[in-house]
Amino acid sequence: MKQGTFKLKNRLGIHARPAAEIVKMSSKYNCKVVFEANGKKAEAKSVLMLIAIGAKKDTEVFLSIEGKDEQLLFEELAEYINKGFYED
Amino acid sequence: MVGIVIASHSRKVAEGIYDLATQMTGSNHSIVQAGGMDDGSIGTDAILIQQAILSADQGEGVVIIADLGSAVLSTQTAMELLENETIKVVIADGPILEGTIAAAVQASIGATLDEVVEAVESARDVLKLI
Amino acid sequence: MTTAIYRCLEKINNAIADNKTFLSDLDGAIGDADHGINMARGFGEVIAQVPQDEEDISIVLKKVGMVLISKVGGASGPLYGTAFIKAAGAVNGKRVLDLDDIIALLEACLNGIKMRGKATVGEKTMVDAIEPALSALKEGKEKGKSIGECIELACKAAEEGVEYTKTIRATKGRASYLGDRSIGHQDPGATSSMIIFKAIKKFYTDEIE
Repeated sequence: MKQGTFKLKNRLGIHARPAAEIVKMSSKYNCKVVFEANGKKAEAKSVLMLIAIGAKKDTEVFLSIEGKDEQLLFEELAEYINKGFYED
Repeated sequence: MVGIVIASHSRKVAEGIYDLATQMTGSNHSIVQAGGMDDGSIGTDAILIQQAILSADQGEGVVIIADLGSAVLSTQTAMELLENETIKVVIADGPILEGTIAAAVQASIGATLDEVVEAVESARDVLKLI
Repeated sequence: MTTAIYRCLEKINNAIADNKTFLSDLDGAIGDADHGINMARGFGEVIAQVPQDEEDISIVLKKVGMVLISKVGGASGPLYGTAFIKAAGAVNGKRVLDLDDIIALLEACLNGIKMRGKATVGEKTMVDAIEPALSALKEGKEKGKSIGECIELACKAAEEGVEYTKTIRATKGRASYLGDRSIGHQDPGATSSMIIFKAIKKFYTDEIE
């Protein structure tokens, strides 16, 4: 299991576009990926649930990944999140 | 890729949902909007929906998401017109906007017809307010 | 030279156009006030698009159905449209209709509507006008009545069906959201069916008899 906490950098946080991108990135690996924020959990296979956790700028998001390529995926997602989803 | 048809009484609604969905999928999609009547007025047109299904099909089947009441009737009529074609067509039961978004993202990552249908159905349960 | 079937469709179109406001007002009471507008649009397109000289009645009926499923806009599009498409199947290749054909045609219409709308009698829909009309046709035939007499009986039965819809609550379509408040209002779909039957009767009386 790989876990980590991130503070979101971009203004809109996990809105539609990055949510879709997270789904796509996660789908390449056979891992269980869960985002948690604002007391809500979302599996990275559901774009609607990711949007529904309502994570915005400065929200602390907890990410946990479990599976064969958990390290690889964690690094990819960590970069994506830390780069503010390449927005702003 | 599984095709998606947005069947709404309103062309503006269908186009708007199409815009949202394709913003998330990028150009990698097979989504076709089928909203309103051909003169732009409110209503559903089974022939328009039938044509949309044919356009959206890439060989892996098509999922249709409809808005209200008679959009379902028109969609079922369109499906019956296509009975002799080999396209696998399913109406998925979920809210039109959120359902299409979920379906679009899944289809774009190579989901199967059943998985895309499931994505639409999952949209029924997602609560929005924090 | 226009065919009889085309002129019959013209009579239907005229009757629907004449009753456009009436039908929309009925629909306004228990629906979204567009039944008359939708039907007028649909049948207007039927007259514009259906060939005037096609003698094969099944080809004409199929075309009527295809126009209606595209041009009506509301639920009556797929319902009436499916009815006409199925009716075409019941009179394949025919150029003249006898009483058996008319009964088969109406039965196919009714079954098409029931299949598409998943309605039965007593749910305050067009089925409440059409099913009694079909029964009346069949009874008329049993009793050895002429085509004209049977059509007259069917019209009466449809009228009674429409009156019956006033007494029950809606369980289908937009009107169903009103529940008991829909009681006392006649169903717009049953009414437009009755108007169509009466137009057919008028055509038969004016032209055939």
